[in-house]
Amino acid sequence: MIVAKLIDTTTCIGCKACEAACQEWNDQGLTVGVARSDDGTYQTLPDLRHDFWNVIKFNEATREDGSFTWLMSKYQCMHCVDAGCLDACPAPGAIFRRENGIVDFDHDKCIGCGYCITGCPFDVPRLSPVTQKVYKCTLCSDRTSVGLEPACIKACPTNCLTFGARDDLVRLADARAEALRSEGRGNAGVYNPAGVGGTNVLYVLEDATRPEAYGLPRDPTIPWQVRLWKGPIKWVGNAVLVGGVVGAFLHYLRYGPKEVRE
Amino acid sequence: MTAAGRVLRFSFGERVVHWMTAILFLYAALTGLALWSPSLFWLSNVFGGGDAVRRWHPWGGVAFAIALGLMFRNWSKDMKLGSEDRRWLRQAHRYAVHDENGLPPAGRFNAGQKVLFWTQSVSVVLLFASGVVLYWPEIMPRGLRLAALVVHPPTAIVSIAGIILHIYMGTAAVPGALRGMIEGWVPEAWARAHHPRWYREIVKR
Repeated sequence: MIVAKLIDTTTCIGCKACEAACQEWNDQGLTVGVARSDDGTYQTLPDLRHDFWNVIKFNEATREDGSFTWLMSKYQCMHCVDAGCLDACPAPGAIFRRENGIVDFDHDKCIGCGYCITGCPFDVPRLSPVTQKVYKCTLCSDRTSVGLEPACIKACPTNCLTFGARDDLVRLADARAEALRSEGRGNAGVYNPAGVGGTNVLYVLEDATRPEAYGLPRDPTIPWQVRLWKGPIKWVGNAVLVGGVVGAFLHYLRYGPKEVRE
Repeated sequence: MTAAGRVLRFSFGERVVHWMTAILFLYAALTGLALWSPSLFWLSNVFGGGDAVRRWHPWGGVAFAIALGLMFRNWSKDMKLGSEDRRWLRQAHRYAVHDENGLPPAGRFNAGQKVLFWTQSVSVVLLFASGVVLYWPEIMPRGLRLAALVVHPPTAIVSIAGIILHIYMGTAAVPGALRGMIEGWVPEAWARAHHPRWYREIVKR
Protein backbone atom coordinates (compact mmCIF):
# COMPACT_ATOMS: atom_id res chain seq x y z
CA MET A 1 0.00 0.00 0.00
CA ILE A 2 1.32 3.42 -0.96
CA VAL A 3 0.93 5.79 1.95
CA ALA A 4 0.59 9.54 1.89
CA LYS A 5 0.14 12.59 4.05
CA LEU A 6 -2.55 15.16 3.33
CA ILE A 7 -2.02 18.73 4.50
CA ASP A 8 -5.17 20.84 4.48
CA THR A 9 -3.62 24.27 4.68
CA THR A 10 -7.01 25.89 5.29
CA THR A 11 -7.37 24.31 8.71
CA CYS A 12 -3.81 24.86 9.92
CA ILE A 13 -3.84 27.21 12.93
CA GLY A 14 -0.06 27.57 13.09
CA CYS A 15 0.27 25.93 16.51
CA LYS A 16 3.44 24.13 15.44
CA ALA A 17 2.64 21.07 17.51
CA CYS A 18 3.78 19.07 14.44
CA GLU A 19 7.18 20.77 14.58
CA ALA A 20 7.59 19.90 18.25
CA ALA A 21 6.45 16.33 17.68
CA CYS A 22 8.86 15.95 14.75
CA GLN A 23 11.78 17.25 16.76
CA GLU A 24 10.92 15.09 19.72
CA TRP A 25 10.33 11.85 17.83
CA ASN A 26 13.49 12.29 15.78
CA ASP A 27 15.44 13.21 18.91
CA GLN A 28 16.67 16.54 17.56
CA GLY A 29 16.03 18.84 20.50
CA LEU A 30 13.41 21.52 20.90
CA THR A 31 15.72 24.48 21.24
CA VAL A 32 17.24 24.65 17.75
CA GLY A 33 15.98 28.20 17.44
CA VAL A 34 13.16 30.37 18.58
CA ALA A 35 11.69 33.25 16.61
CA ARG A 36 12.69 36.53 18.18
CA SER A 37 10.27 39.41 18.45
CA ASP A 38 12.39 41.43 16.03
CA ASP A 39 12.26 38.71 13.35
CA GLY A 40 8.78 39.96 12.49
CA THR A 41 7.54 36.40 11.99
CA TYR A 42 5.89 33.61 13.87
CA GLN A 43 7.94 31.03 12.02
CA THR A 44 10.23 28.91 14.18
CA LEU A 45 12.98 29.04 11.58
CA PRO A 46 13.20 30.71 8.19
CA ASP A 47 14.26 27.50 6.49
CA LEU A 48 14.69 23.76 6.88
CA ARG A 49 17.83 22.51 8.57
CA HIS A 50 19.67 19.23 8.78
CA ASP A 51 18.21 18.91 12.30
CA PHE A 52 14.83 20.50 11.57
CA TRP A 53 12.81 18.70 8.92
CA ASN A 54 9.42 20.36 9.12
CA VAL A 55 8.85 24.12 9.07
CA ILE A 56 5.38 25.60 9.39
CA LYS A 57 5.49 28.63 7.11
CA PHE A 58 3.46 31.71 7.82
CA ASN A 59 3.21 33.04 4.25
CA GLU A 60 1.83 36.55 4.32
CA ALA A 61 -0.76 37.44 1.70
CA THR A 62 -3.54 39.90 0.99
CA ARG A 63 -7.14 38.85 0.44
CA GLU A 64 -9.21 40.32 -2.40
CA ASP A 65 -10.84 42.76 0.01
CA GLY A 66 -7.40 44.04 1.02
CA SER A 67 -7.31 42.37 4.42
CA PHE A 68 -4.30 40.46 5.68
CA THR A 69 -4.11 36.69 5.76
CA TRP A 70 -1.64 33.94 6.34
CA LEU A 71 -1.36 31.21 3.78
CA MET A 72 -0.13 28.44 6.02
CA SER A 73 2.09 25.72 4.61
CA LYS A 74 4.07 22.84 5.94
CA TYR A 75 7.54 22.84 4.37
CA GLN A 76 8.99 19.33 4.35
CA CYS A 77 10.03 16.48 2.05
CA MET A 78 7.30 15.80 -0.52
CA HIS A 79 8.20 12.12 -1.04
CA CYS A 80 7.93 12.49 -4.82
CA VAL A 81 6.88 9.54 -6.93
CA ASP A 82 9.70 10.49 -9.37
CA ALA A 83 12.28 11.70 -6.87
CA GLY A 84 14.99 14.05 -8.15
CA CYS A 85 17.18 13.36 -5.11
CA LEU A 86 17.18 9.65 -5.84
CA ASP A 87 17.98 10.14 -9.52
CA ALA A 88 20.94 12.38 -8.72
CA CYS A 89 22.45 10.20 -5.96
CA PRO A 90 25.72 8.43 -6.90
CA ALA A 91 25.85 6.09 -3.87
CA PRO A 92 23.73 2.97 -4.39
CA GLY A 93 21.18 2.54 -1.62
CA ALA A 94 21.90 5.84 0.10
CA ILE A 95 18.54 7.12 -1.11
CA PHE A 96 15.84 4.54 -1.69
CA ARG A 97 12.10 4.23 -2.05
CA ARG A 98 10.29 2.03 0.42
CA GLU A 99 7.51 -0.25 -0.78
CA ASN A 100 5.01 2.13 0.78
CA GLY A 101 6.31 5.02 -1.35
CA ILE A 102 8.39 6.77 1.32
CA VAL A 103 11.65 8.20 -0.03
CA ASP A 104 14.22 7.52 2.68
CA PHE A 105 17.94 8.05 3.29
CA ASP A 106 20.39 5.46 4.60
CA HIS A 107 23.04 7.48 6.39
CA ASP A 108 25.54 4.64 6.51
CA LYS A 109 25.62 4.74 2.72
CA CYS A 110 25.29 8.51 2.22
CA ILE A 111 28.64 10.08 1.28
CA GLY A 112 27.50 13.69 1.69
CA CYS A 113 28.15 14.81 -1.90
CA GLY A 114 24.97 16.88 -1.86
CA TYR A 115 23.86 15.93 -5.39
CA CYS A 116 20.40 15.20 -3.91
CA ILE A 117 20.22 18.84 -2.79
CA THR A 118 20.77 19.86 -6.41
CA GLY A 119 18.36 17.23 -7.77
CA CYS A 120 15.49 18.09 -5.41
CA PRO A 121 12.93 20.43 -7.04
CA PHE A 122 11.60 21.41 -3.61
CA ASP A 123 14.96 22.34 -2.02
CA VAL A 124 14.50 19.99 0.93
CA PRO A 125 17.61 17.90 1.81
CA ARG A 126 20.10 19.55 4.14
CA LEU A 127 23.75 18.69 4.78
CA SER A 128 24.89 18.33 8.38
CA PRO A 129 28.18 20.15 8.97
CA VAL A 130 28.91 17.66 11.75
CA THR A 131 28.29 14.27 10.14
CA GLN A 132 28.66 15.42 6.49
CA LYS A 133 25.50 13.45 5.68
CA VAL A 134 22.21 14.69 4.27
CA TYR A 135 18.97 14.69 6.25
CA LYS A 136 15.29 15.26 5.62
CA CYS A 137 11.81 14.13 6.68
CA THR A 138 11.49 10.33 6.65
CA LEU A 139 7.70 10.44 6.87
CA CYS A 140 8.48 8.72 10.18
CA SER A 141 9.37 5.49 8.37
CA ASP A 142 10.39 4.11 11.77
CA ARG A 143 6.78 4.65 12.97
CA THR A 144 4.85 3.80 9.82
CA SER A 145 6.74 0.50 9.48
CA VAL A 146 5.15 -0.65 12.73
CA GLY A 147 1.68 0.66 11.96
CA LEU A 148 1.91 4.03 13.69
CA GLU A 149 1.11 7.31 11.99
CA PRO A 150 3.86 9.93 11.63
CA ALA A 151 4.57 12.04 14.71
CA CYS A 152 3.37 15.30 13.12
CA ILE A 153 0.01 13.75 12.30
CA LYS A 154 -0.34 12.32 15.78
CA ALA A 155 0.21 15.78 17.24
CA CYS A 156 -2.03 17.86 14.96
CA PRO A 157 -5.02 19.17 16.95
CA THR A 158 -7.19 20.30 14.03
CA ASN A 159 -7.06 17.25 11.77
CA CYS A 160 -5.39 19.46 9.22
CA LEU A 161 -2.96 16.56 8.76
CA THR A 162 -4.18 13.14 7.66
CA PHE A 163 -2.16 10.00 7.05
CA GLY A 164 -3.33 6.94 5.15
CA ALA A 165 -3.52 5.13 1.82
CA ARG A 166 -2.58 7.49 -0.98
CA ASP A 167 -5.61 6.64 -3.12
CA ASP A 168 -7.96 7.42 -0.22
CA LEU A 169 -6.21 10.67 0.52
CA VAL A 170 -6.34 11.82 -3.10
CA ARG A 171 -10.13 11.30 -2.99
CA LEU A 172 -10.35 13.04 0.39
CA ALA A 173 -8.30 15.97 -0.91
CA ASP A 174 -10.53 16.31 -3.99
CA ALA A 175 -13.65 16.22 -1.81
CA ARG A 176 -12.21 18.80 0.55
CA ALA A 177 -11.27 21.13 -2.33
CA GLU A 178 -14.74 20.68 -3.80
CA ALA A 179 -16.31 21.57 -0.46
CA LEU A 180 -14.15 24.70 -0.22
CA ARG A 181 -15.17 25.75 -3.72
CA SER A 182 -18.85 25.27 -2.92
CA GLU A 183 -18.32 27.49 0.12
CA GLY A 184 -17.28 30.26 -2.21
CA ARG A 185 -13.51 29.78 -2.26
CA GLY A 186 -13.44 29.26 -5.98
CA ASN A 187 -9.68 28.85 -6.37
CA ALA A 188 -9.40 26.01 -3.89
CA GLY A 189 -7.63 22.93 -5.22
CA VAL A 190 -5.23 20.08 -4.64
CA TYR A 191 -1.43 20.33 -5.01
CA ASN A 192 -0.15 17.01 -6.35
CA PRO A 193 2.25 18.09 -9.11
CA ALA A 194 2.31 15.84 -12.16
CA GLY A 195 5.84 16.91 -13.13
CA VAL A 196 7.32 14.64 -10.47
CA GLY A 197 4.71 11.91 -11.02
CA GLY A 198 2.70 13.21 -8.09
CA THR A 199 3.84 13.47 -4.50
CA ASN A 200 3.10 11.38 -1.44
CA VAL A 201 2.63 14.60 0.48
CA LEU A 202 -0.54 16.26 -0.81
CA TYR A 203 -1.84 19.75 -0.14
CA VAL A 204 -5.28 21.28 -0.19
CA LEU A 205 -4.68 24.94 -1.02
CA GLU A 206 -7.23 27.69 -0.60
CA ASP A 207 -5.78 29.29 -3.72
CA ALA A 208 -4.38 26.54 -5.90
CA THR A 209 -3.82 28.97 -8.78
CA ARG A 210 -0.91 30.49 -6.84
CA PRO A 211 1.18 27.69 -5.32
CA GLU A 212 4.16 30.10 -5.21
CA ALA A 213 2.34 32.09 -2.55
CA TYR A 214 2.67 29.01 -0.33
CA GLY A 215 6.33 28.60 -1.19
CA LEU A 216 5.54 25.69 -3.50
CA PRO A 217 6.98 25.54 -7.05
CA ARG A 218 4.32 25.83 -9.77
CA ASP A 219 5.53 22.99 -11.92
CA PRO A 220 8.31 21.02 -10.18
CA THR A 221 10.16 18.45 -12.28
CA ILE A 222 13.34 16.47 -12.02
CA PRO A 223 15.83 18.95 -13.53
CA TRP A 224 16.61 18.26 -17.18
CA GLN A 225 20.30 18.55 -16.30
CA VAL A 226 20.01 15.55 -13.96
CA ARG A 227 18.09 13.58 -16.61
CA LEU A 228 20.65 14.53 -19.26
CA TRP A 229 23.55 13.43 -17.08
CA LYS A 230 21.93 10.20 -15.89
CA GLY A 231 20.65 9.48 -19.41
CA PRO A 232 22.36 10.38 -22.70
CA ILE A 233 25.60 11.71 -21.17
CA LYS A 234 26.09 8.46 -19.29
CA TRP A 235 25.28 6.23 -22.27
CA VAL A 236 27.57 8.16 -24.60
CA GLY A 237 30.27 8.42 -21.92
CA ASN A 238 30.24 4.69 -21.20
CA ALA A 239 30.37 3.95 -24.93
CA VAL A 240 33.35 6.30 -25.36
CA LEU A 241 35.30 4.76 -22.46
CA VAL A 242 34.65 1.16 -23.42
CA GLY A 243 35.07 2.01 -27.11
CA GLY A 244 38.41 3.69 -26.37
CA VAL A 245 39.86 0.67 -24.58
CA VAL A 246 38.48 -1.87 -27.05
CA GLY A 247 39.44 0.33 -30.00
CA ALA A 248 43.03 0.67 -28.81
CA PHE A 249 43.29 -3.07 -28.32
CA LEU A 250 41.85 -3.85 -31.75
CA HIS A 251 44.15 -1.26 -33.32
CA TYR A 252 47.14 -3.00 -31.80
CA LEU A 253 45.97 -6.39 -33.06
CA ARG A 254 45.40 -5.02 -36.56
CA TYR A 255 48.33 -2.62 -37.01
CA GLY A 256 50.79 -3.45 -34.24
CA PRO A 257 53.41 -1.09 -32.86
CA LYS A 258 55.33 1.60 -34.72
CA GLU A 259 58.71 -0.09 -34.93
CA VAL A 260 61.74 1.98 -35.80
CA ARG A 261 63.89 0.39 -38.50
CA GLU A 262 67.58 1.17 -38.02
CA MET B 1 71.91 16.78 -25.73
CA THR B 2 73.29 13.69 -27.37
CA ALA B 3 75.64 10.97 -26.16
CA ALA B 4 76.58 7.51 -27.42
CA GLY B 5 73.70 7.14 -29.84
CA ARG B 6 71.16 8.49 -27.38
CA VAL B 7 69.44 11.84 -27.06
CA LEU B 8 67.89 13.39 -23.97
CA ARG B 9 64.16 13.64 -24.65
CA PHE B 10 62.84 14.74 -21.26
CA SER B 11 64.73 16.40 -18.41
CA PHE B 12 64.45 15.11 -14.86
CA GLY B 13 62.11 17.98 -13.98
CA GLU B 14 59.86 17.30 -16.95
CA ARG B 15 59.67 13.61 -16.04
CA VAL B 16 58.80 14.33 -12.42
CA VAL B 17 56.03 16.71 -13.44
CA HIS B 18 54.70 14.25 -16.03
CA TRP B 19 54.45 11.37 -13.57
CA MET B 20 53.07 13.53 -10.81
CA THR B 21 50.36 14.64 -13.21
CA ALA B 22 49.79 11.06 -14.34
CA ILE B 23 49.32 9.66 -10.83
CA LEU B 24 47.05 12.50 -9.78
CA PHE B 25 45.07 12.08 -12.98
CA LEU B 26 44.55 8.39 -12.30
CA TYR B 27 43.39 9.13 -8.77
CA ALA B 28 41.00 11.90 -9.84
CA ALA B 29 39.69 9.90 -12.79
CA LEU B 30 39.08 6.64 -10.93
CA THR B 31 37.49 8.30 -7.90
CA GLY B 32 35.49 10.45 -10.31
CA LEU B 33 34.26 7.36 -12.15
CA ALA B 34 33.04 6.02 -8.79
CA LEU B 35 30.72 9.02 -8.64
CA TRP B 36 29.92 8.99 -12.35
CA SER B 37 27.46 6.13 -12.10
CA PRO B 38 26.06 4.05 -9.23
CA SER B 39 27.14 0.95 -11.15
CA LEU B 40 30.77 2.09 -10.86
CA PHE B 41 30.45 3.11 -7.21
CA TRP B 42 32.34 -0.07 -6.23
CA LEU B 43 35.50 1.75 -7.37
CA SER B 44 35.20 3.85 -4.22
CA ASN B 45 36.04 0.74 -2.18
CA VAL B 46 39.50 0.80 -3.75
CA PHE B 47 40.04 4.34 -2.49
CA GLY B 48 38.85 4.08 1.09
CA GLY B 49 35.06 4.11 0.64
CA GLY B 50 32.46 6.62 -0.47
CA ASP B 51 33.11 9.12 2.32
CA ALA B 52 36.82 9.20 1.53
CA VAL B 53 36.10 9.64 -2.19
CA ARG B 54 33.72 12.52 -1.52
CA ARG B 55 36.31 14.09 0.73
CA TRP B 56 39.46 13.56 -1.36
CA HIS B 57 38.38 13.48 -5.01
CA PRO B 58 38.05 17.28 -5.06
CA TRP B 59 41.49 17.77 -3.52
CA GLY B 60 43.00 15.19 -5.84
CA GLY B 61 41.51 17.25 -8.64
CA VAL B 62 43.06 20.45 -7.29
CA ALA B 63 46.45 18.76 -7.02
CA PHE B 64 46.07 17.45 -10.57
CA ALA B 65 45.25 20.95 -11.79
CA ILE B 66 48.39 22.32 -10.12
CA ALA B 67 50.53 19.54 -11.62
CA LEU B 68 49.05 20.20 -15.04
CA GLY B 69 49.82 23.88 -14.51
CA LEU B 70 53.49 22.99 -14.01
CA MET B 71 53.37 20.85 -17.12
CA PHE B 72 51.86 23.78 -18.96
CA ARG B 73 54.76 25.96 -17.85
CA ASN B 74 57.23 23.32 -19.09
CA TRP B 75 55.71 22.55 -22.45
CA SER B 76 53.22 25.17 -23.67
CA LYS B 77 55.90 26.76 -25.86
CA ASP B 78 56.67 23.44 -27.59
CA MET B 79 52.95 22.71 -27.96
CA LYS B 80 52.02 25.60 -30.25
CA LEU B 81 50.01 24.34 -33.20
CA GLY B 82 51.33 25.54 -36.57
CA SER B 83 50.22 25.09 -40.16
CA GLU B 84 52.35 21.93 -40.43
CA ASP B 85 50.43 20.51 -37.49
CA ARG B 86 47.10 21.23 -39.09
CA ARG B 87 48.28 19.43 -42.21
CA TRP B 88 49.42 16.53 -40.01
CA LEU B 89 46.03 16.35 -38.31
CA ARG B 90 44.20 16.24 -41.63
CA GLN B 91 46.24 13.13 -42.42
CA ALA B 92 46.15 11.64 -38.93
CA HIS B 93 44.37 8.55 -40.31
CA ARG B 94 47.55 7.74 -42.20
CA TYR B 95 49.61 8.07 -39.05
CA ALA B 96 47.21 5.61 -37.41
CA VAL B 97 47.92 2.92 -40.04
CA HIS B 98 51.72 3.49 -40.03
CA ASP B 99 51.68 4.98 -43.51
CA GLU B 100 53.70 8.05 -42.66
CA ASN B 101 55.10 9.00 -46.06
CA GLY B 102 53.97 12.50 -46.84
CA LEU B 103 53.19 13.39 -43.23
CA PRO B 104 54.85 16.65 -42.18
CA PRO B 105 57.84 15.81 -39.94
CA ALA B 106 57.01 16.21 -36.26
CA GLY B 107 58.88 18.57 -33.96
CA ARG B 108 59.46 17.83 -30.29
CA PHE B 109 55.79 16.85 -30.10
CA ASN B 110 53.63 15.68 -32.96
CA ALA B 111 50.28 17.30 -33.65
CA GLY B 112 48.41 14.48 -31.91
CA GLN B 113 50.35 15.07 -28.70
CA LYS B 114 49.69 18.78 -29.01
CA VAL B 115 45.96 18.26 -29.39
CA LEU B 116 46.02 16.04 -26.30
CA PHE B 117 47.91 18.73 -24.38
CA TRP B 118 45.40 21.45 -25.28
CA THR B 119 42.44 19.14 -24.67
CA GLN B 120 43.68 18.47 -21.16
CA SER B 121 44.49 22.14 -20.58
CA VAL B 122 40.97 23.26 -21.52
CA SER B 123 39.39 20.31 -19.70
CA VAL B 124 41.13 21.05 -16.44
CA VAL B 125 39.82 24.61 -16.46
CA LEU B 126 36.25 23.38 -17.03
CA LEU B 127 36.65 20.59 -14.48
CA PHE B 128 38.06 22.95 -11.88
CA ALA B 129 35.36 25.58 -12.36
CA SER B 130 32.48 23.08 -12.29
CA GLY B 131 34.14 21.14 -9.47
CA VAL B 132 34.32 24.21 -7.26
CA VAL B 133 30.59 24.71 -7.81
CA LEU B 134 29.76 21.09 -6.98
CA TYR B 135 31.94 21.15 -3.87
CA TRP B 136 29.57 23.48 -1.96
CA PRO B 137 26.05 22.20 -2.64
CA GLU B 138 24.47 24.50 -0.06
CA ILE B 139 26.41 27.66 -0.90
CA MET B 140 26.46 27.74 -4.70
CA PRO B 141 23.30 28.87 -6.51
CA ARG B 142 21.21 25.97 -7.77
CA GLY B 143 21.34 27.10 -11.40
CA LEU B 144 25.13 26.96 -11.34
CA ARG B 145 25.12 23.56 -9.65
CA LEU B 146 22.78 22.17 -12.29
CA ALA B 147 24.99 23.59 -15.03
CA ALA B 148 28.04 22.05 -13.36
CA LEU B 149 26.30 18.66 -13.37
CA VAL B 150 26.25 18.69 -17.18
CA VAL B 151 29.77 20.17 -17.55
CA HIS B 152 31.87 18.15 -15.10
CA PRO B 153 31.02 14.56 -16.19
CA PRO B 154 31.23 14.96 -20.00
CA THR B 155 34.42 17.02 -19.73
CA ALA B 156 35.92 14.29 -17.58
CA ILE B 157 34.93 11.69 -20.17
CA VAL B 158 36.66 13.64 -22.95
CA SER B 159 39.73 13.98 -20.73
CA ILE B 160 39.79 10.27 -19.80
CA ALA B 161 39.21 9.22 -23.41
CA GLY B 162 42.22 11.31 -24.41
CA ILE B 163 44.33 9.65 -21.74
CA ILE B 164 43.24 6.15 -22.76
CA LEU B 165 44.57 6.95 -26.23
CA HIS B 166 47.69 8.56 -24.72
CA ILE B 167 48.48 5.53 -22.55
CA TYR B 168 48.01 3.22 -25.53
CA MET B 169 50.27 5.36 -27.71
CA GLY B 170 52.89 5.83 -25.01
CA THR B 171 53.17 2.17 -24.06
CA ALA B 172 52.11 -0.38 -26.67
CA ALA B 173 51.81 1.58 -29.89
CA VAL B 174 55.14 3.43 -29.85
CA PRO B 175 57.87 1.23 -28.36
CA GLY B 176 60.59 3.33 -26.70
CA ALA B 177 58.29 6.21 -25.77
CA LEU B 178 57.65 4.97 -22.23
CA ARG B 179 61.34 4.48 -21.60
CA GLY B 180 61.96 7.99 -22.83
CA MET B 181 59.50 9.33 -20.30
CA ILE B 182 60.95 7.23 -17.45
CA GLU B 183 64.69 7.39 -18.10
CA GLY B 184 64.71 10.53 -20.22
CA TRP B 185 66.87 9.11 -23.02
CA VAL B 186 65.78 7.79 -26.41
CA PRO B 187 67.85 6.18 -29.18
CA GLU B 188 68.89 8.56 -31.96
CA ALA B 189 67.11 6.36 -34.51
CA TRP B 190 63.93 6.63 -32.48
CA ALA B 191 64.14 10.40 -32.36
CA ARG B 192 64.91 10.57 -36.09
CA ALA B 193 61.91 8.38 -36.90
CA HIS B 194 59.28 9.86 -34.62
CA HIS B 195 60.37 13.47 -34.19
CA PRO B 196 62.64 14.26 -37.13
CA ARG B 197 62.33 18.05 -36.98
CA TRP B 198 63.17 18.01 -33.25
CA TYR B 199 66.10 15.65 -33.83
CA ARG B 200 67.59 17.91 -36.49
CA GLU B 201 67.32 20.88 -34.12
CA ILE B 202 69.14 19.09 -31.30
CA VAL B 203 71.89 17.77 -33.47
CA LYS B 204 72.50 21.28 -34.79
CA ARG B 205 72.91 22.59 -31.23
